[in-house]
Amino acid sequence: MKNSWTGGETPTQTVDDGGGSLAVAVHRCDPGAFERLIQRFERPLFAYADGILQNAFDAQEVVQDALMRAHKALTRQYDEARCAALALRPWLFRTVRNLALNKLRSKRSSLEQPLEAFDDGRLGPFVHLEGSELERKEEIELLKRAMSLLPVDARELIVLRFMEEMPYAEIAKTVGASEAALRGKVFRSLKLLRDALEQKGVAYAM
Amino acid sequence: MQCRAALTRIDALRTRELAPIEQTAVEQHLKTCRSCNESTDDVDSLAHAVKAIAAVPARSCCDDVKRACVDSYDRVGDLWVAFSKDGIRMVAAADSIDDLRAPYAKRYGRELAPAPIPEALRRQILAATTGEGVDAPRVDLEPTNDLEHDVLQTLARIPRGQVRTYAWVARQVGRPRAVRAVGNIIARNVVPYLVPCHRVVPSSGGVGNYIFGSEKKRDILEREGVPVDELEALAREHVRYIGSRTTHVFCFPTCHGARRIQEKNKVPFRDADEAMESGYRPCRSCQPVVAA
Repeated sequence: MKNSWTGGETPTQTVDDGGGSLAVAVHRCDPGAFERLIQRFERPLFAYADGILQNAFDAQEVVQDALMRAHKALTRQYDEARCAALALRPWLFRTVRNLALNKLRSKRSSLEQPLEAFDDGRLGPFVHLEGSELERKEEIELLKRAMSLLPVDARELIVLRFMEEMPYAEIAKTVGASEAALRGKVFRSLKLLRDALEQKGVAYAM
Repeated sequence: MQCRAALTRIDALRTRELAPIEQTAVEQHLKTCRSCNESTDDVDSLAHAVKAIAAVPARSCCDDVKRACVDSYDRVGDLWVAFSKDGIRMVAAADSIDDLRAPYAKRYGRELAPAPIPEALRRQILAATTGEGVDAPRVDLEPTNDLEHDVLQTLARIPRGQVRTYAWVARQVGRPRAVRAVGNIIARNVVPYLVPCHRVVPSSGGVGNYIFGSEKKRDILEREGVPVDELEALAREHVRYIGSRTTHVFCFPTCHGARRIQEKNKVPFRDADEAMESGYRPCRSCQPVVAA
């Protein structure tokens, strides 16, 4: 019974600060253990889900569902040895990823028309500003818009790599690709993001 | 190293995730190639900027998830009571709630957090422990297998003021030879008092063992109106069933039917076969013999 989550490959570096011991604590139902897990992972997981779905409401639902599934798996399905060997962070992110992608797929196939997130006009015309004069808020707004223009796989990599600052080894476990392939993909995603920003007249070299 | 190869490694270089040999190669390349070197700054600034736009949940789902994944406990009398929103899940006597955590985790896979028990549940516990009896206990047990489920259902049907034997429970659940297994399940009852495991006694007489001790079992049975002393007297005579001369029906001695039989009409039987051979039929209420 080889399982890619719990063995078979040697971790390239010990980045997961106590993920395994937290998993064991949840498995043993130590008081407050699951709350610690939620507090540590809820925000990054939400950022990831939102990166994929581009919808805060759906992202919240996905994260909640993922956390409940994680609890069930850790307490009822996995034994203690398996919890101890678990790479908790990529495992959680993978759960969120699967659920988010499912949701995305079901949304696409439903009759619901995707909103034109970009050209809804409410935010006014794009302001061409020099990098140094950018107000913080506008900068963020612009980046968000640029992000929303990217394809899903580029968005998710940017979230994992630059918001969550995951090492490539963990991203590889999360999305299921080799590290070498990911390096190329991350770079291309970043390029896409910069292109999207430049298209709006912002050279992002400050 | 070519620019293309170097560019895709810039980001990994930033966080020192490259193999040493690759790292040297990329660093070498960056020293000689100006445009690649500029890209390093671009990657840096973009990475930094992107960090600021991480979406933040409007509201933490912590409470919702906890409600679904963590159960509560409270103290009722001298008992610890663990419960979910659907009902009572464990009743136990222990010095500290910590003694309950491990068995609770094993059975339900949940944490226990303190919370006031709903009044309805508290009343049920009090009624059950004082011998008043509870008609429809609100329990939430997640039986681990079918046999346990059937046994618990059968226990719940034994009326207040009556007792049955372990062998009877085994017959009721369709496993007449699994008396020992059934006994073990009854002994492991996680909600004593509420699911009346105390209403099951050994066929050989006496009140038998109890999670809180035999004395407590005798006490709660007496509070429920079981004539324990009479039962023990009968057991000494090896009498298991009582028949009625007028109706030719035989019952467990504690069956409400048996207790209405006048003294002069009572016929003692040692086992069901003896009763049937004498032309008596089993009572439909207490079912000393399982109807085919």
